[in-house]
Amino acid sequence: MPAPVTSYEGARLTAGAFVLLAALTGCASMVPQTMGLRDAWPAGVPDRVELGEVPFFPQRDYQCGPAALATTLAYSGVKVTPDDLVDQVYLPARQGSLQIEMLAAPRRYGIVSYPLAPRFDDLLREVAAGNPVIVLQDNGVGPISNWHYAVVAGFDYPAGELLLRSGETQRLAIPFTILEYTWKKGRYWAMVTLPPDRIPATATESGYLKAILAMARVVGNANAVTTAFRTFLNRWPENITASIALANMHYERGAIKEAEAVLRHAEVRHPDSVLVLNNLAQTVSDQGRNDEALAIIERAVGTQSLFTVAARETRDLILQRMEKGR
Amino acid sequence: MKFSIRNVLCRVLVVAMMMLPFQTGQAGMIGTDQATSAATAQADRNTVINLLSRAETARELQSLGLDSKTATDRLAAMTDDEVRALAGNINAVPAGADGLVLLILVVFFIWYFAFRR
Repeated sequence: MPAPVTSYEGARLTAGAFVLLAALTGCASMVPQTMGLRDAWPAGVPDRVELGEVPFFPQRDYQCGPAALATTLAYSGVKVTPDDLVDQVYLPARQGSLQIEMLAAPRRYGIVSYPLAPRFDDLLREVAAGNPVIVLQDNGVGPISNWHYAVVAGFDYPAGELLLRSGETQRLAIPFTILEYTWKKGRYWAMVTLPPDRIPATATESGYLKAILAMARVVGNANAVTTAFRTFLNRWPENITASIALANMHYERGAIKEAEAVLRHAEVRHPDSVLVLNNLAQTVSDQGRNDEALAIIERAVGTQSLFTVAARETRDLILQRMEKGR
Repeated sequence: MKFSIRNVLCRVLVVAMMMLPFQTGQAGMIGTDQATSAATAQADRNTVINLLSRAETARELQSLGLDSKTATDRLAAMTDDEVRALAGNINAVPAGADGLVLLILVVFFIWYFAFRR
């Protein structure tokens, strides 16, 4: 009686196909962004990129943080080795490096560090723009975590591979799926480090301003910070905070004319900004043109803003100076 | 003992800062810090929180094997937001360490043959 057997086999086949399908869709949902790339590859990004110039520092012990950071910093033109960075990002008791410290250390070299949005698209865009990307991977399985930093220095989508500087391997090719699987557990954390005259390809106005302000905290960076704000304003000329910050950088080193020029540009765009008017009036008054300064500050004192009090005091100062000048 | 002195100091600071009038009017250039902090009263309150967070994080970094100078230098490169995120949390956040790929080999082969992209 062959018929029942056939139907039994049919059922087994159906069950098998079902299990396989379930497994595959399960897998697919484990790497949602890789699946997303199949449908929508980021526009303008070539499908093969390799940044061959990215240096390689094989890691020692548990020091992949210093090694990864030295890789991108050296690529940005800083003379630095992993050993120099151990004191800055390595935590002996944790035998590793924290993400926040990875972001903080480059600022000490006058380099802007920028955390990327948690998207494959952004990672690929940065690499395509010539910026190697540091990623945090969890190479553990299940409950065991095995955190690791690697540098993405290229990809070959037709071959399905990303090219990493990782651990002791100079050119590690791993599938997109594996990278996403390990990268996802750290919430797709990634960062780039760029010299102050460049802006990351995926940078947002507010995000990049924050990154520069963070670098400006570190003392001894004045030149890099000035360059960074100037570069920022070329891209986003409307930004008041960056204008104020750049003018203040000039003012602090005594370049009052340059400070004035920056504030003039800002004033054209934001004629009602008390902040801009106050600082402009101050720089003009400092150059002895008190009549002109008074005319500027008069536009600010009648307003209701956080800085109106400061503006009134600036007007008093200008009036005092005019008294003395008589 | 050193820490309890610091705690007392911090408490005194909190009270002292709360008694400060929230008024920073001052002739001259408005600084970048002032321009970026939204409201002055909030900024002053944050100053207190930041002082506390920095003290706490410095202590934690030292307990993880850094000397006090290194800990201070490293903290100096962090923004206030970053220090706040780290304070009290330093053992919970990931610390990238190892290049070991052995563990993922199993997963690797499944994926490698199932699909690569």
